[in-house]
Amino acid sequence: MSELEDAYDDDALAAEYVLHLLDDDERRAFEARLATDRELQALVWSWEARLSPLSDEVEAASPPKAVRDRILRSLGEPNARRSAQALWGWLAGGAVAAGLLLFVLFGTAFDPEPDLSVAFQAELASEDRSQVMVAGVIPATHEIVIERVAGTAPAGRVHELWLIAEGADAPVSLGLLENDGTTRIRVPDDIAPGVRTGTIAVSEEPPGGSPTGAPTGPIVAAAQFNDV
Amino acid sequence: MTTTADIEDIMARIKLRDRQALAALYDATSGKLFGVCLRVLKNRSEAEDVLHDVYVRVWEKAAPYAITGHSPMTWLITVARNMAIDRLRKKRPETGSDDAMSLVADDGPGPEAAAIASSERARIETCMGELENDRADAVRAAYLEGETYKDLAKRFDVPLNTMRTWLRRSLMKLRDCLTR
Repeated sequence: MSELEDAYDDDALAAEYVLHLLDDDERRAFEARLATDRELQALVWSWEARLSPLSDEVEAASPPKAVRDRILRSLGEPNARRSAQALWGWLAGGAVAAGLLLFVLFGTAFDPEPDLSVAFQAELASEDRSQVMVAGVIPATHEIVIERVAGTAPAGRVHELWLIAEGADAPVSLGLLENDGTTRIRVPDDIAPGVRTGTIAVSEEPPGGSPTGAPTGPIVAAAQFNDV
Repeated sequence: MTTTADIEDIMARIKLRDRQALAALYDATSGKLFGVCLRVLKNRSEAEDVLHDVYVRVWEKAAPYAITGHSPMTWLITVARNMAIDRLRKKRPETGSDDAMSLVADDGPGPEAAAIASSERARIETCMGELENDRADAVRAAYLEGETYKDLAKRFDVPLNTMRTWLRRSLMKLRDCLTR
């Protein structure tokens, strides 16, 4: 099959996927590719956007008031926190176990160097991309490293970084960002487990940061971390 | 009328765990999303369950919407439609549908968000108009009602493979027209 036919085929498959027309096996195979193939992902998003105006003809209907109440009651019930902790624990535990094993094998000759590489990354960008920052997490040191790619806080204002853990009730301040270059922020151990699956956000605040402990100014950007 | 910019602002506040923002999003968009779920499921109580799950999902996973490049309304409709069709596919055959009359919108929806820009709507209508009538109907039935190739083949009384060929060709034609 030529490359052109392949591309054509993927686009047709993406359309069928969006329409839920693939059978179970085809759908599973497509989703397996989708998890790693960014071009395929882009094809899917294009079809979602392309077809969504078809829903314009759908008439709105009023759901019963009870649904709204039930939703608001369901919010923030911690259900995923355990898995986040398990992930962090696994990362830390795995490193410790590996170190221990090497220590047993090589005795005192082994001096483990901590792995200081960035494991998760996120791009924080404002809607118009006038503000762009790249954030990375170094699990070994519980650090978030944030590098400004474009933009700074307006004169007389500062940018503050927040973590909203999955299922958490409120954002937690992680600290203020330098107005240029790189900022390194050490995440307190008790909230570190929520970083991987949570959302980080940057808000604009008065000098010294939010006076209330919650974001007070506009949200510049928000994002979730992905594996590097 | 809630504008796209209003909804974007609401979505940003939802990421910061503002419950009022989720309530505001619900008030601005639930009528449309309930309509989308009802159209697929044709059963009010199932559509209510899915609507609940959609907003809980939005609360838990508001962040990924930005990377899709979708407008918030496109993203919400996509999530609602996907969750409704997943439910439809799992539905056991004995679970019936409500009759058509009980599905008609009741006391009118509250203030609705501008769903999709009217220019986009006009474009897709023009392009759907370029397809043969029954093929455009097939695309609509797949998108709006969540029909399978099997359903569609039965509805249009053609073999399943023919249906698939038809629909794929129609979709490619639609894409070419929309990107023209």
